[in-house]
Amino acid sequence: MIVQPAPKRDILARRDAIVAGLRELLPQSGVIAEPLRMKPYETDGLPAYRQMPLVVVLPETTEQVAAVMRFCHREGVRVIPRGAGTSLSGGALPMEDAVVMGMMRMNAILDIDYADRCAVVQAGVTNIGITNAVAAQGFFYAPDPSSQLACMIGGNVGMNSGGAHCLRYGVTANNLLGLRVVTVEGEIIDIGGAHLDAAGYDWLGLLTGSEGQLAVVTEVTVRILRGPEGARAMLAAFRANEVAGACVDSIISSGIIPVALEFMDRPAIHACEDFAHAGYPLDAEALLIIEVEGSVAEQDALLERIREICLRHDPISLKVSQSAEESAAIWKGRKGAFGAVGRISPDYLCMDGTIPTSRLPEVLRRIGEMSTAYGLGVANIFHAGDGNLHPLIMFDANDPASLRKAENFGADILRLCVEVGGCLTGEHGVGVEKRDLMGVQFTETELNQQRRIKSAFDPGWLLNPSKVLPLLPEAA
Amino acid sequence: MQTNFTAEQLRDPDTATSNKVLRTCVHCGMCTATCPTFVLLGDELDSPRGRIYLIKDMLESGRPATEEVVRHVDRCLSCLSCMTTCPSGVNYMHLVDHARAYIESTYRRPWHERALRGMLARTLPYPGRMRLALLGAGIARPFAGLLPKSNLGWRRLRALLKLAPRRLPTPDARDRPGVFAAEGTRRGRVALLAGCAQRVLDPEINAATIRLLNRLGIEVVVPKAAGCCGALTHHMGFAEQAHASAEANIDAWCAEAEGDGLDAIIVNTSGCGTTVKDYGHMFRTAPGALRDRAARVSALALDISEYLTRIGYAPTRAAPGLTVAYHSACSLQHGQRVTNEPKALLRKAGFTVVEPAEPHLCCGSAGTYNMMQPDIAERLRARKLANLQATRPDLIAAGNIGCITQLSGDGVPVVHSIQLLDWMAGGPLPPGIHANHHAE
Amino acid sequence: MTVLAPADEAGILAAIAAANEAGEPLRIAGRDSKAGLLRPVQAARMLSAAGLDGITLYSPNELILSAQAGTQVAALVAETAAKGQHIIAEPPDFSALFGVETAPSIGGVVAANLSGPRRVAWGAMRDHVMGVRAVNGAGEVIRSGGRVLKNVTGLDLCKLLAGSHGTLAVLTEVTLKVLPAPERRATLALPGLDPAQAVAALSAALGSPYGVSAAAHLPAPMAARVPALAWMNRAVTLARIEDFAASVAYRSEKLRGELAHVAMAELLDDGASQSVWAAVRDALPIAPEPGAVWRVSVRPSCGPGVAAALEAAFGAAWFMDWGGGLVWIAGPATEAAHHAVAEAARAAGGTWMLLRAPEPLRASVAVIPPEPASLARIRARVKAAFDPRGILNPGRMYAGS
Repeated sequence: MIVQPAPKRDILARRDAIVAGLRELLPQSGVIAEPLRMKPYETDGLPAYRQMPLVVVLPETTEQVAAVMRFCHREGVRVIPRGAGTSLSGGALPMEDAVVMGMMRMNAILDIDYADRCAVVQAGVTNIGITNAVAAQGFFYAPDPSSQLACMIGGNVGMNSGGAHCLRYGVTANNLLGLRVVTVEGEIIDIGGAHLDAAGYDWLGLLTGSEGQLAVVTEVTVRILRGPEGARAMLAAFRANEVAGACVDSIISSGIIPVALEFMDRPAIHACEDFAHAGYPLDAEALLIIEVEGSVAEQDALLERIREICLRHDPISLKVSQSAEESAAIWKGRKGAFGAVGRISPDYLCMDGTIPTSRLPEVLRRIGEMSTAYGLGVANIFHAGDGNLHPLIMFDANDPASLRKAENFGADILRLCVEVGGCLTGEHGVGVEKRDLMGVQFTETELNQQRRIKSAFDPGWLLNPSKVLPLLPEAA
Repeated sequence: MQTNFTAEQLRDPDTATSNKVLRTCVHCGMCTATCPTFVLLGDELDSPRGRIYLIKDMLESGRPATEEVVRHVDRCLSCLSCMTTCPSGVNYMHLVDHARAYIESTYRRPWHERALRGMLARTLPYPGRMRLALLGAGIARPFAGLLPKSNLGWRRLRALLKLAPRRLPTPDARDRPGVFAAEGTRRGRVALLAGCAQRVLDPEINAATIRLLNRLGIEVVVPKAAGCCGALTHHMGFAEQAHASAEANIDAWCAEAEGDGLDAIIVNTSGCGTTVKDYGHMFRTAPGALRDRAARVSALALDISEYLTRIGYAPTRAAPGLTVAYHSACSLQHGQRVTNEPKALLRKAGFTVVEPAEPHLCCGSAGTYNMMQPDIAERLRARKLANLQATRPDLIAAGNIGCITQLSGDGVPVVHSIQLLDWMAGGPLPPGIHANHHAE
Repeated sequence: MTVLAPADEAGILAAIAAANEAGEPLRIAGRDSKAGLLRPVQAARMLSAAGLDGITLYSPNELILSAQAGTQVAALVAETAAKGQHIIAEPPDFSALFGVETAPSIGGVVAANLSGPRRVAWGAMRDHVMGVRAVNGAGEVIRSGGRVLKNVTGLDLCKLLAGSHGTLAVLTEVTLKVLPAPERRATLALPGLDPAQAVAALSAALGSPYGVSAAAHLPAPMAARVPALAWMNRAVTLARIEDFAASVAYRSEKLRGELAHVAMAELLDDGASQSVWAAVRDALPIAPEPGAVWRVSVRPSCGPGVAAALEAAFGAAWFMDWGGGLVWIAGPATEAAHHAVAEAARAAGGTWMLLRAPEPLRASVAVIPPEPASLARIRARVKAAFDPRGILNPGRMYAGS
């Protein structure tokens, strides 16, 4: 179970005054203080962890965010920024004495500049919303987390979100040009802009992935890219995880970098097929989704080379998508994979470790052994090109023992990831979920270095303070 | 998702069903993004996930519904966009229906709301009463602008008056119960849900349906005892009234099926279609015979576009050179998952079919929603019309009378798809359409 | 000046711990090829990473390469090329620009976050730093990232340290993402465009679906200094395509057709492409110019305006990379010229760096844009969080810190 820092008693005692103060700063519907209405804000995409906040605010402008931050800074009130609430690591889990600041109302696209290939959007614009806004001109925003339909760019910046196509296009940090942020003191700062590589410290890089620890992001300047002439996905089914892993190695060593290279194991294949009806082979132990880009002739040439490589690994079946609809269904299945597991299990914990890709077969074998030992099912989804593994541990939240087992199982998996040379989280962030495992990957010296950076931005530790970094003994 | 119901609570079949629905939800939040009210209002409470959470809390506590829960559940359009999006297969429709019934039985609304809802429930499902009401509204319509905008009650009344058509169509000759014989050799026999509000607002839709089916060799029966499908009252939480309507229909259609036989029960108002297709669930705990008959009716129910696709449709006139923006009614695309058939049929009929941006978003009609939540409905209408008009269509087609009424009156004619299909297969030119030179 | 050049991380650690103890500043360098960059550091001793030499891990199938900080970039380029791969950001070698013989180290190009022409399409040096080991000013070893391609565990110190010019910590090892090198390159060379036409053509090229991986514009005097372009005798606008051979042939023809209304492009083959882009990468066309050299980074469509303003102000020599977004400028090493550059960059909403100048000028002006007061306060606290006694490269980026 997750330990939260002790709430500040004086803040709880002054709740009414704090709510009244916030009401002066925001429109009437922008402050939610009735317990019943705050209830849906007690959790995010990791509902195993819940905590009612002090109050919820929904600002509509950067100036309102700044006003709230100034107020909270003056009053010593903690603030938890929240985007769409899709975090799988509990990144937006409230604290009893904290204001939850929902960015969902800041959902305007402010500027699109095709000549300079960038767009300025507010933090509450959904990831897919950016692509939708520029798609008619043939452009797209590259990072595509599975939750892209719902997750918001502000949250993507906070978690440095990835996606299925980051082997080719990079993660969020690689696709940003600028940020408008509000500091803990309530000052508005612009970082970067429409240009590349600002001189000075890389604040853009540091803030990206900082999980709301350093500042509140209100506007984001993203790079938009012209899409390829076309793209096509291929499904390659294999009789064993090891074989699929070896095939991934062969593809990469041939010099081909597919734009996406996704791996699913048997339970994942079944859950996703049930949702998307994409024609996933149900008799396979492991499935690769391999996508290439270019003109039709280029796609054909690449797919043919990949097909030849796959054939050397004795596949059960190889299937190339024949239409845009078919490709869409293939991706719908993959992108809905997490939720689709909800069809076969009432609850799941989604892990997000990364491993050196060469260790995949060994890691999957050991996860399988743990699954048996814990008596909990697991479905594995893997960004095979970049080593990002998503084991989905299935459990029953109505059974407290089952949740505890799932948590322990997850921790064991992440320890294994670090043991083989990987890390705790590839794209979901540490949040509250992996906070207490940070010591597995980092020394206390390294954690203190990170704490000092946090203090440099937020001396009073008011911004999302119970996440990422293990609590110091006095706080816990 | 974790739930906290007692064994006692779970003995209630509705609660047991809702518990199952809640356990399916993994709280991933995908549904928020495609929910029209979340897109507009930017508050978790006005998203499916937020409402699921509120409903869960309300049902678990067993306490009467509170004003806060009612406010946010009332804002739900029941467009079911969330169900199309949900990867886990959460049946939000059954959950929110249960919540609405729970609210009706435990919560006392302010008098003006009770009055309005009661009036709508007593009027809309009954064509005769509705025609009278609309005549009255037609007289009052010019004065709508004089009503104050200050409070919701008045704004609702304004919305209601504005929705009333300026001129009430005269009932069509086919707008009566009976059997309409197939032309030529009879290839099949179907029942048509004649509906209630649609018959008053646009009798031409049923007429076109019957004409086209007859021409295609299909005998159409409109049983005298069948009436409103129950959807309007069902969505207001008036479970008893809804079940009574549904039961009457089940009786009437089963009598036909057991008599001269039925290949299908045709619905051309997709809002009703969603409900008829759900009769099986509605009566899942009913005594054996009724339960089985309800399931049978649900299995026979088809949207007109599904049926036409099944039996085959071909135009007899030359392509009219018209661009049709197809508006996908929520009840059709989300409720029944019928998405391609209407577009394919319109293309086959010779129209150029275009689709607006944000096709998944509701137009704001949603049964009685545009009367009960006029502010949100108006914003959704404006957004939908802007998206539709951006496609520069000659006309807009939809498969649901609610949407047609909601989107009409803004310059571009709005018709039911079936009217276009009927026209191209030899029927009359739908009113309001100006055929281009190469047609007719 | 005393040079400390330990052979391993322990030696770096010991040197910093001692300096920290004594409160003595250190000038930090990789192989010291960019001593002329940014502000001069007042320190009696230099700590060099040149002794930390060698690749520590190279797993081509995992696209991962780790090397000690002092390893020459050229060695990594050769090692990856042998496996058919490359360093993605195409890091430059400014030895010609600075007039030194020393070749850059990987630690140096990471610490300066220097990227070549491919940056516009494939990201900066810092985008491919997957992991670092470093010693902070307090004499502590800190690691960030790892040896995997994706990692968001904790704050991303890889990015913070990249571009911090040794002011926060001394890099001892870096881990890079590498990729398969393209099988073939080709370059479209459009002759005779004015700067605005050139940037419009480059925007069209970069906004095309053909995967343009570099885009530059050289006015006639600059083009004349590139052997493979000199024969064209005019301004040249360049767009590179690199991929499998068949794709390069197909895409360069398609793009050539789409740009035909602007100018008929000459097609440079693989060999000519390599030499042209190496010249652009290392700023060779501008290196012979006397005086100071600046880099201005702006929104690409603002590039021509910056160039025009500085031509008018002090007769600047210039060329553009990154589709117009990076303007290389040469001019007199005076405060007046420097302020003109800063003002032009500021007016275009961009950023500048005084890259090469005599020491007095570098010591007296802001070599990179000053930060707003609120951010400068945070910067001072971040600096202290790494280097509490301010011993690492003091004054290198900003006067007094």
